[in-house]
Amino acid sequence: MQIDQARYHGWDGKLQTPWVACLAIVRVALVQVFRNKAYWFVLGLGALRFLAFWSIIYAVTQLTLPADVQKMFLREFGFSANGDAGQDNGYIEFIQGQNIIVMILLAFSGSLLVGSDFRLKTLPFYLSRRIDKCHYIVGKLLAVCAVVSILTVVPALLLFLEYGLFTSSADYWIDNWRIAVSVLTFGAVICVVNSILLVTISAYLQRIVPITIAWASLFLLLGRLGDYLFRETHNNFWRLLDPWRDMRLVGQLCFGKFRREIDQELAWWAAGILGAICAVALVALVHRVRAVDVVE
Amino acid sequence: MHLVDIQHLSRSFGSVRALCDVNLSLLPGTIGLVGNNGAGKSTLLKVLLGLLAPDSGGGTILGYDIRHGTPQLRGRVGYMPEAAAIVPMLKGVEFVAFAGDLYGMPHRDARRRAHEVLNYVGLGELRYRRLEEYSTGNLQRLKLAAALVHDPQLLLLDEPTNGLDPAGRIGMLQLLEDLIAETGKSVFLCTHLLGDVERLCQQIVVLDRGTVVRAGTMDEMRSQVSNRWELSWSGPCAPFRAAIERTGGNFVDPNDEGQNKIMIAVPNGFSTTTFFELARAQGAVLTEIKADEESLERLFFRVTEQAAQTAGAT
Repeated sequence: MQIDQARYHGWDGKLQTPWVACLAIVRVALVQVFRNKAYWFVLGLGALRFLAFWSIIYAVTQLTLPADVQKMFLREFGFSANGDAGQDNGYIEFIQGQNIIVMILLAFSGSLLVGSDFRLKTLPFYLSRRIDKCHYIVGKLLAVCAVVSILTVVPALLLFLEYGLFTSSADYWIDNWRIAVSVLTFGAVICVVNSILLVTISAYLQRIVPITIAWASLFLLLGRLGDYLFRETHNNFWRLLDPWRDMRLVGQLCFGKFRREIDQELAWWAAGILGAICAVALVALVHRVRAVDVVE
Repeated sequence: MHLVDIQHLSRSFGSVRALCDVNLSLLPGTIGLVGNNGAGKSTLLKVLLGLLAPDSGGGTILGYDIRHGTPQLRGRVGYMPEAAAIVPMLKGVEFVAFAGDLYGMPHRDARRRAHEVLNYVGLGELRYRRLEEYSTGNLQRLKLAAALVHDPQLLLLDEPTNGLDPAGRIGMLQLLEDLIAETGKSVFLCTHLLGDVERLCQQIVVLDRGTVVRAGTMDEMRSQVSNRWELSWSGPCAPFRAAIERTGGNFVDPNDEGQNKIMIAVPNGFSTTTFFELARAQGAVLTEIKADEESLERLFFRVTEQAAQTAGAT
């Protein structure tokens, strides 16, 4: 039956729970990121790095190479696919490396994903629908988590799958199931920390330049400061000022593999520091998200 | 049942009282909320929608408590904000479907409805354009479509003709007029353009400095329009003016004292023959008598000025 498009037609469907709207926020955020051609370069870098690892794993498992060459290949790429590889566990290296690309992407996309809601007064558009600020915040955090996961957790799991696929049996997956769990745990930590910090910073600073400066300061300046204080005092705890290092330590904690003995002790402190930073940021975010700016 | 029923509603921002003891009982239909900039119109709209919690007082819209019933209420209310409120990088149809998603519509329904309402508001051809490419007029229509997507019972429109050129404004008013006539939806129109209210609304609420200075139907409002006359005469000035004043007439401009030309507001039922009788009794000759009907705009200024004077006196 032809519908008369010039006339108004009603809708008598049933509205779903507001939590479904969080998924819509995630979907729209991904559309925003992938539609912006300026981000394609950064996404391309992530994809290239993943393809490089993919190729290396293919080469060492499928091509007939001497064992020492295989080892060299993996060592040069900083990747070992075995769970018992000790300090050289490659999945941490891979995720941490991808995380650099994520950081660059997030520094530029924070303004688009979150800042624009405040700058263009879109927040009342969201909050005047059936969602409240809790749904909005969860939706935005999940959106950033989705962006982070696409570049870190998902490719890491794909590499894990690939390694298993290219061995002759399913033993690799069975023997190293902890790797998959560790990847997911470390990925969850990266997603949660990055998303909370980015959404909070973007909600306050809104524009791309201040967000990028704050983001860079947080992950570079604090690191340099921590290193300086460590050199002056020889106290390892100063190095925990660097959230980047904290995430890495928590990653090692997730995988149960540490480069140095002291790292094991520091990892728990790092987890605590990240938890505290996230808690403070979350409180600040909840305070910032309101439908109407105060009229002076 | 009342569409809006609120009592003793107050809301402050720091030391600024945006709404002060607002009481309103409004029937379903089209309601114009008018007032100067900063009168509290948008604040009232946001309190009604549950975006802002009132400091005191409360009430209901469509039978839902504005303090506690907001999720259900918003499912039946469509809100069109004043600001641009766009989501960058999205296309028109995606934006409207996203609004439907945020209302909790199933995504497939939201997408289908987005196409329907965009056609209805006249943006069918532009639905695949990015939001950044929309003109102000089309953006207003797009926001209306986003407010209509879940087929609400009540529309809250915040300055829908703001920033539009004359043709765009007329087009938007025509669209709203058709929508109201076709669907019978209730509309709460918040604006400072009295012409928009006069054209669309059956009821009017006048806000000034956070208080309601007039509320009622447009007919009631029009009945308060003064019966004004412009008189010119020759002959004695002061005695004739005094005689007119004694009949209950009010001089519109108190500064025209001593002149033989005045603008006077007279009570309803006043007969113009009285002017001639008074002039004859005072030895004056009326040379010109001209009716001057007060427009809604002038009435608005009069009531807000009266409210300001009353507030100043107290």
